[in-house]
Amino acid sequence: MLFLAGLAILLPSLYWDHPVDTAAALRQAGIARLLVPAAQVDAWRKAGFTANAFDPATAAKATAPHVEYQMDVASATRVPWVDANGWQFIRTPSRTYFYDAPAGAAAMAAAEAYAYGVQAVIQAAPEDVDSLGRMLRFLGNLDAPRLPTRANFGIIDDGSDEMGEVMNLMARHNLLFDVIPSPDPAYDLIVRLGAGGFTKEDIADPYAFAIRMRHQLTDDKRLVRIYGSNVVIVRLTGDGTGEQVHLLNYGKPEVKALHVRVLGSYPQHHVAVFGHPRAALEDFSVAGGATEFTIPELGPYAIVYLGNGQLSR
Amino acid sequence: MQRRTFLQAAAAAPVVLPAGYAATEHKLPKYHVVSHYSPSAHPGMPGPYPGQVVSVHSEKSIDVATEKSNAAVVAEMLSRGMRALTGDNDVRDSWARFISPSDVVGIKVNCSGAPGIMSTPEVVAEIIRNVVAVGVKPASIWIYERFEEQIVTVHYDRYVPAGVHIWTAEHMRGSIQAYDPATYVETNFFDEDDTRSNLIRLVCSPFTKIINVPNMKDHGASGVTGCLKNIAYGDFSNVARSHSGAVTNTYSFIGTLAMVEPLRSKTVLQVTDGLRAVWHGGPFSPNRKFRFYPKQIMVGTDPVAIDRLILDIIDNKRKAEHAVSVWDRSMKYVSATGDHMNNPDINQFIREPGHIEYAAHLGLGVYDLDKIKVRSIEV
Repeated sequence: MLFLAGLAILLPSLYWDHPVDTAAALRQAGIARLLVPAAQVDAWRKAGFTANAFDPATAAKATAPHVEYQMDVASATRVPWVDANGWQFIRTPSRTYFYDAPAGAAAMAAAEAYAYGVQAVIQAAPEDVDSLGRMLRFLGNLDAPRLPTRANFGIIDDGSDEMGEVMNLMARHNLLFDVIPSPDPAYDLIVRLGAGGFTKEDIADPYAFAIRMRHQLTDDKRLVRIYGSNVVIVRLTGDGTGEQVHLLNYGKPEVKALHVRVLGSYPQHHVAVFGHPRAALEDFSVAGGATEFTIPELGPYAIVYLGNGQLSR
Repeated sequence: MQRRTFLQAAAAAPVVLPAGYAATEHKLPKYHVVSHYSPSAHPGMPGPYPGQVVSVHSEKSIDVATEKSNAAVVAEMLSRGMRALTGDNDVRDSWARFISPSDVVGIKVNCSGAPGIMSTPEVVAEIIRNVVAVGVKPASIWIYERFEEQIVTVHYDRYVPAGVHIWTAEHMRGSIQAYDPATYVETNFFDEDDTRSNLIRLVCSPFTKIINVPNMKDHGASGVTGCLKNIAYGDFSNVARSHSGAVTNTYSFIGTLAMVEPLRSKTVLQVTDGLRAVWHGGPFSPNRKFRFYPKQIMVGTDPVAIDRLILDIIDNKRKAEHAVSVWDRSMKYVSATGDHMNNPDINQFIREPGHIEYAAHLGLGVYDLDKIKVRSIEV
């Protein structure tokens, strides 16, 4: 068995404040479980749904996943800006997050929350109910027990906005980090402010600091590298015998061929790609202490299972 | 075959900089070249005719007013050029020195300036006619380019036999689907996230030979673009990352890419289409006022020698137009936000025409004009 039985990752929930006469659209999307305003709970239950009361004001706000494309993409430094929440999910994983997702964003929001294993509630636009339903079914069928975060960097968080921006930029550039309470030799580099660490001035420019950390680590030691897109963010979890590579494509178009390099030798593999039920990894190789493969088509989300023993599926 | 990894560091590739260049202006990036292909015994570049160029000119080759090419004249120019290069009486013998009936032939065209300038369909069609005459089946011939939206404007299909493939690597810009993940150059220019440039898969297989058909153009980053730029940046993914701000790494990246196997070994012939040319604004050509008409085709196997001649053709034309030289590195002519597409005295980048001499030092050909033998033919 590649993965020990563990806690299953919770599926995100739909928050729906529309009247109960919209029930047919939800049923058609395969959504039977809802969070609704307290006043509507009974009506939805009478309509046959598993409905519970939810107040968005009680949850932490998540940013709607989004890419801001630059006009001039010829320059390497003018990469698109990605609105993503992974950094704050890693920073505070125990909270419940609420997405007010505009049209086109709900399915991606569900994938993002799932990849980071946080509890999330998504208010979807009516036209997104179908795609959200498909994403929830896809996620529900995954065999992805919650595994520890894999990271090159251990960040000792002082809770400041500046450190939050550092985390945001590091996540954006796939410099994998985890938030830790104290220095731990399991990480290649420790990021902390204060004695023996960095100063506020060091992190005043979070992009420059993230790049500095990249140089200090070196690309060869990075646990994951991706090639072929600058709007895909990676989340890596694993337990030493296997890895789960979560790939989140924040861009609207599918990525036609995403190449991935994972540090470590993992001859066994399996992939699940949203929207491509028969997807398989291509160009798979294990050499030089790294595992590389190509995902031919990547929509909003894929998960790759890598193992150095027998895969459980 | 075991994968062979070649590490090409600055220290491993000592380069003598051209006169007037300060070493500090060219901090060479560290290149990590990965390929499991070994060089052939006689790599196509610089090939059997290093330092030799045949330049064929004809006033009748193109009508300047209509920009219409004369196919019959082009055929005669190419025939004379090939025979002069090889010394054969029969042009089929000339082509047979490079192409065999069993070959799968890639024809690397240049369409970045299309429809204003491109590898002229009449030139490409004549190359294909000769390749077919050697015995290659049309289905074994591939006209190829990186970007679909550029090549579709040219309509090569109207000029070539049925069965010839017209193929592009990127139907959607940025996709690496058509590139070989196992053959690439890795380098970090500007802390970009994606640090690999991969070779087009077809070059690895099934192509057995490549004919390079560039144009003669000014280039805002590399100074000029001819054989080297077309075969290098035209066969690899993710190369625009080599430019940022006013700085471009074309100086060393072009030659480094052109050296990657199997590209270097399989590129056996250079046919430079100089019927039209661009003296400013290249590699694009939306503005006809920057086009001119050398009315010539240059044939050879040495990309450096041909590009050395193109360099003077472009810079002399700029001089005649009272435009700043491609060699000028003054920042007073560089403006990323300026009107570089309309004003020939504004550059988008500090140009790097020294990339040709750099390629010579890598072993791709002869740069010294005194050592280049040019045979000029008038048709």
